[in-house]
Amino acid sequence: MRRLIWTCLLLFIAGAVVSSFTAEAQRNAEAAQRLPIIYWAQGVETASVLKQAGIEQIAALPDKADEWRKAGFNVIALSQQELEHREKLFVPRTAGRADVASATRRPWIDSNGWRFVRNPVSKFYYDLTGKGAGKVLLASAEAFSYRADAILKIDPADVAEFGKMLAFLRTLPLSNLPPVADIGLIDEGSPATGEVMNLLTRRNLLFKLVPAPAPQFRVNIQLGSKEYPLAEAADPNAFAQKVRQQLGDENRSLRIYGTEVVIGRLTSDGARVQLHLLNYSGRDVDSLRVRLRGKYGKGELKAFEVEAGLEDFVVADGATEFTISKMGVYAMIELPAVK
Amino acid sequence: MKRRTFVQLLAASPLASPLTCGEAEAADAPKYRAVSRYKPAATPGMPGPYPGRVIAVKSAKCLDDTGDHADPAVVREMMERGIRALTGEASAIDAWRYFIKPDDVVGIKVNAGGQPYVVSSPEVVAETVRNLMAVGVKPAQIYVYERFQSQLDDINYAPHLPEGVTIFAAELGNRGVDNNRYDPLTYVEADFFGEDDTRSNMIRLISEKLTKIINIPNMKDHGATGVTGCLKNIAYGSFSNVARTHYNGASHTLSFVGTLAAVEPLRSRTVLQIMDGLRGVWHGGPFAHTKKYMFYPKTIMFGTDPVAIDRLLLDIIENERKAHGAISVWERSEKYLKADDSRARDADPNVNIIIREPGHIEYAAKLGLGVHDLKKIRVQEIEV
Repeated sequence: MRRLIWTCLLLFIAGAVVSSFTAEAQRNAEAAQRLPIIYWAQGVETASVLKQAGIEQIAALPDKADEWRKAGFNVIALSQQELEHREKLFVPRTAGRADVASATRRPWIDSNGWRFVRNPVSKFYYDLTGKGAGKVLLASAEAFSYRADAILKIDPADVAEFGKMLAFLRTLPLSNLPPVADIGLIDEGSPATGEVMNLLTRRNLLFKLVPAPAPQFRVNIQLGSKEYPLAEAADPNAFAQKVRQQLGDENRSLRIYGTEVVIGRLTSDGARVQLHLLNYSGRDVDSLRVRLRGKYGKGELKAFEVEAGLEDFVVADGATEFTISKMGVYAMIELPAVK
Repeated sequence: MKRRTFVQLLAASPLASPLTCGEAEAADAPKYRAVSRYKPAATPGMPGPYPGRVIAVKSAKCLDDTGDHADPAVVREMMERGIRALTGEASAIDAWRYFIKPDDVVGIKVNAGGQPYVVSSPEVVAETVRNLMAVGVKPAQIYVYERFQSQLDDINYAPHLPEGVTIFAAELGNRGVDNNRYDPLTYVEADFFGEDDTRSNMIRLISEKLTKIINIPNMKDHGATGVTGCLKNIAYGSFSNVARTHYNGASHTLSFVGTLAAVEPLRSRTVLQIMDGLRGVWHGGPFAHTKKYMFYPKTIMFGTDPVAIDRLLLDIIENERKAHGAISVWERSEKYLKADDSRARDADPNVNIIIREPGHIEYAAKLGLGVHDLKKIRVQEIEV
């Protein structure tokens, strides 16, 4: 009888584990296919505008969903209330904030990467109307880079821009590789920890959320611990700098030179890396230099709306460096790992 | 105290294993990592064949009464006398041949930051070009360069130069967004104030095209370095992303100026220093937006040793400041410090916006860039 109970218990646990893995695999598979979606409240009479922009999927008001479907669109029915029930994201951009300005000429950046990392299964939305107009390219690239479930409420004047980005994103690999991280972070959900995550993201200090200090990371952060007192988080910029020094620049998986307005997301499955670069400045950046820890072969660069290549490619001392001759709002690089 | 490690990579691969070629210690100096694939010349241009030797040529006639216009003929004579005295050659052309060969590709590093009043004078630059062409260097092999196009545009050297000479800027302006004219494989890496971009890259023109460089700085006060002369002009004027060394009243110019100047191939290829001291600025530098702080040394100094010339410059600026009752360039008291308040600095010569680091000249001497000890500097003065 006891053996039967144990067997049942083991089968239950195994089933739960398999189920958990299956659910995660399912989520990853869905995320991999995920492209940004716009919220379109207008009627089907505007279908030609969307079709001209190459848009095939929208979120539409429930009472208009069917007519949009009949017009050949993939539709998520979504009321205004349901949209606003989603977590609202920042309008991605550089912003002047005198109170936190740094004389190192580093502008303040409103980015959402850390929020996607914090809540990977959450549903988000951007309001890119009004003052958010004109930021649809960056927002859609940002959501795509993190494979976030994000809906973009856009200014109708930005439809063509969105369509261009969508067409570009369709040319990219739709794989969702595991993120690369150098830092473990225990997130208890506080705003203070959120701000630390924001600053780590902002400074390209790659972190992963862990339930407890993880031995594979040189640095594990738990706000409120002896090493990371809560008071230190009052200055998240200084906090991020402390973490950076503890990690050591030479141990960072990703470094970006030549700009302070580009944020990278690095993912890898061991056989290859994918680097997503998001330029928050609103203008092109010339000759961005990237250093990746690890040895990689020459791969492919795809940059949105600019002619660019990987130049001055060097592999040595356990690192790979290359220059992106020019980048606009977004670029993605895929490199194969080499022994 | 941090330990400063200066590393020069000499192997063909820019990221190959480093060879340590020198170590020094300085209080609070950051850790530097200099990366270059270029080997030093047998006799690097700095300090060159004349360490500790300076020729100072003066002429009361070089400027008109307003100080606004230089006399090209007088400048020509000053330069001829100076270069001949430096080399001991009987003729100017032989003196120039000592430094430059007809097949050289020559860069002339001007100083355009003090526009409109204290910049490398078009007359001095034009006379330099004329001598290069006399040696046999074709106009297409001559580059007048500076970091920022906007500053060069304000001066407009073109009407003073022969057709075919290139006026080259590394960036459009001081915005830090166009890096493609900098060499990604030749740089100095250092974290000064927690900035994300920790590299300063050498201008590609220098590393990939020029074979010789002539440095033409001015006699200027400088809010961060105390004075700006040969060292600061060639160092900060040849690398990207250098303004990051100043922050909130402090600067790392003490060690960074010399460190940059010592990077190959800049050090080896900079073969001649011509300090244009027709005009100078004793406060508010490196800028000279008004004539309020101008003075007129009416001097051009020649040498191959940037440290020796800058050591003399230090006294020139210090004496001029003393004559006007201004605080010393060595003053470090916080009571005179109004961090980053350039308006207050421009209004009052007893205001510092950064704690100045005139010790950068002595620091550069310790890196082997020249002679700092006044007792060992031999100055020959010539009156024209």
